[in-house]
Amino acid sequence: MKAPLRPADVSQVVECVRDADGAGLALRAGGTKDRLGRATSATTDVDLSALSGIVTYEPEELILIARPATSLVEVEELLAQNGQHLAFEPPQWGPAATLGGTLGVGASGPRRFVAGAARDFVLGMEFVDGLGRVIRTGGRVVKNVTGYDLWRSLVGAYGTLGVMTEICLKLWPLPETQQTLAVSGQTRTDALAQMYAWSRRPEAVTGLAYSDGTLLARIEGSTAAIEPQIKALWQDASAGEILADTESRRCWERLREAGALTAARGEVLYRIVVPPSRAEETVVALERMELCRCCLDWAGGLLWAVLPRNCPPARVHTAATEAGGMAARLSQGPEDPNDEAFTPLPEGVARLNTTLRQTIDPQGRFNPGRLYN
Amino acid sequence: MNLPTPLPQRLARRTDLVKRLRKLVDDGGLIHRDEDLVVYECDGLSAYRQAPLAVALPTSAQQVCDILRTCGDLDIPIVPWGAGTGLSGGALPLADGIVLSLARMNRILHVDIDDRAVTVEPGVTNISVTHAVTGHGFYYAPDPSSQIACTIGGNIAENSGGVHCLKYGTTTNNLLGLQLVMADGHIVDIGSAAMERAGYDLLALFTGSEGLLGIITQATLRILPKPQSARALMAAFDTIAAAGGAVADIIGAGIIPAGMEIMDRLSIEAVEQFLGCGYPLGVESLLLVEVDGPEAEVDAQIAAVQDLVRAAGCTEIRQADSPEERQRLWAGRKAAFPAMGRLSPDYYCMDGTIPRGRLPEVLERTSVLSEAYGLRVANVFHAGDGNLHPLVLYDSNVEGELERAEELGAEILKLCVEVGGVLSGEHGIGVEKRDLMPCQLSDDDLDLQEELKRAFDPGLLLNPGKVYPALRTCAEGRMHVHGGRLPFPDLERF
Repeated sequence: MKAPLRPADVSQVVECVRDADGAGLALRAGGTKDRLGRATSATTDVDLSALSGIVTYEPEELILIARPATSLVEVEELLAQNGQHLAFEPPQWGPAATLGGTLGVGASGPRRFVAGAARDFVLGMEFVDGLGRVIRTGGRVVKNVTGYDLWRSLVGAYGTLGVMTEICLKLWPLPETQQTLAVSGQTRTDALAQMYAWSRRPEAVTGLAYSDGTLLARIEGSTAAIEPQIKALWQDASAGEILADTESRRCWERLREAGALTAARGEVLYRIVVPPSRAEETVVALERMELCRCCLDWAGGLLWAVLPRNCPPARVHTAATEAGGMAARLSQGPEDPNDEAFTPLPEGVARLNTTLRQTIDPQGRFNPGRLYN
Repeated sequence: MNLPTPLPQRLARRTDLVKRLRKLVDDGGLIHRDEDLVVYECDGLSAYRQAPLAVALPTSAQQVCDILRTCGDLDIPIVPWGAGTGLSGGALPLADGIVLSLARMNRILHVDIDDRAVTVEPGVTNISVTHAVTGHGFYYAPDPSSQIACTIGGNIAENSGGVHCLKYGTTTNNLLGLQLVMADGHIVDIGSAAMERAGYDLLALFTGSEGLLGIITQATLRILPKPQSARALMAAFDTIAAAGGAVADIIGAGIIPAGMEIMDRLSIEAVEQFLGCGYPLGVESLLLVEVDGPEAEVDAQIAAVQDLVRAAGCTEIRQADSPEERQRLWAGRKAAFPAMGRLSPDYYCMDGTIPRGRLPEVLERTSVLSEAYGLRVANVFHAGDGNLHPLVLYDSNVEGELERAEELGAEILKLCVEVGGVLSGEHGIGVEKRDLMPCQLSDDDLDLQEELKRAFDPGLLLNPGKVYPALRTCAEGRMHVHGGRLPFPDLERF
């Protein structure tokens, strides 16, 4: 293994790309998302940590422009001081999380089902493509139909399409406060039915999850406005305990960080996304694989499932595909190459993925193997 | 503006093409007589007209696939067509190509409320999606002004917006899945009602790609519960800067209005003459703000907005609490485009987006330009999302005025780019702004985008001549309206 390259600015990133050998570049910064995805076969590490720092923060324009290795925690603290936040509620999975890594894996938290995903909060980007060109795509405004939305394709690409060098994010006002209704002793079927019902309501329900037999519903907004709303849910459920602000925040942080959970010895953690209405049949299929435990988020659209290690990943991927969704297996440590990390793509989609990759990074320099083979 | 030169060998294949297409579709599926093709000569950018070789109207993805394969065999370009309401010439036909109209694929396929999703064919109109789910208390958020006529396929191709984009996003933020027919005739399904997809975000790439990468044959859209309550107010200001300041204060206070619009003096006067909707006269600008959400939240927010606009120095406030009052407040704003017909025989509509805070500066510099060119410019502004629609007023019967209007328009768009904005917020590039692209995108940016086009459509048969300039100079685009006669004059334009 060679010594890692440490580009400090865009021109040095361009140099790294132009000088890269055939084995490719392994892009890294905080390292908190290593458990997601496959191991890359690249033999040159590129440590992007030096590409950090906020370029512009304009609260009244609701935008923040930052370099990719900027700490997610620091950004969120700064935003919170100004009454703003990243509404897609990104999971951190560790204090070293960066903006670039967050977008690289396209990580969205519990609010995703109402607020949108990581990719919805990126307005533009500067990145270096596989030919070493500095590409600027998108901008700093919400409405922009000038050319292809290339930047969104880099979100969730696991660093296989380019090296982000600058990111423009759309910010959102931080709700003044929140409360959560927690209804314990619920069966999964009842909890799902209740989640569907509440996801139709016009109240500001910004979290709907089911964990350890407890149905959780979050309301966010101003103090005056959330009281009647949480009461309406409570009356609807005719049961439950209301968690006040601090406790409610802690509860959703836990759910947000579910991916950081270490499955016990002999167990493997999966992240499964299906249409919410297909949650029940997906869990039933997983139960046939001796599902150890699972929790549901996104009003049924996201499942965190722990399965026995000897369960073939292909079976989980098949269950996800049959329900119209996808699964990701989280690796169990550095020795786990995690070849079966992602649900295989149908042939047509795979072909389009390859076309996109080969156009932006014709030599396959960035994180080869990290997403698919 | 030049479209690709028609190739004589393609024109010569017309009879053969028609014969082969006729076998692929039913009787109503092919239009090829010259007199019938007139209808398809232009989209909403009526300054440019061109009849196609034929129009094919398939009823299934399989037929789309067959048509694409046939066109591939004969090397015939394809211009996809929704309702033809686009304002940038994205659906302008080619003399040696066919128009592929998706209008007959207009079924709503599934409504799944538990998934908060609707799956439709591309020819369904935007408003029909809302109509299909309104009984469940839901709606489809993107609301381009032509929503009673424009189709979902066209909305996706253009990444259409509307007046609620700051809060609810544009089409790309409200799309979960697509079925596409690629240039080689393969049918590909991307996504479902699930909130994430495996592999790259191809939906992002195809949304707003203006028909250059594939033909949309199905779409799964995200729908939202209708807000419990909505309230609006209108505030008058002595200066545009003060109205702009109020916008910054509202967002600074943590309020994201569903809609927020600014009109300048000329627009207000035009609207008042046209409609008599009771807007105050003699003021420099009007700010319209609408908030929606849970009732208690809306009540608190509209009160806060009142305080903020007062503190920002507004001279008059009118509040609308009932839906009827709200509609009255909005009526004037929505009539802004047609009202221009009262002030001028022609107008030319621009569509740049700017960072909100640069509004006073951009309007100031626009008015300097306006004086220099000797042409009036009325401004309506989606203040929430920064989308500016300057309307350059001119008279095409006056020698040289049209050219001056086009030059002025191009100067305004370049100004939008200079202050950190973009050439087009929601109308698309099409042919209209194609030659301005180098003002915003570098050679490398344009190269990569064109490489993608070639990778997905190696034969360059899907909507060639649109979006990407043949020559990389910063020239001017053009969209003008004569005698207040827009194509589809009964559609709202805002």
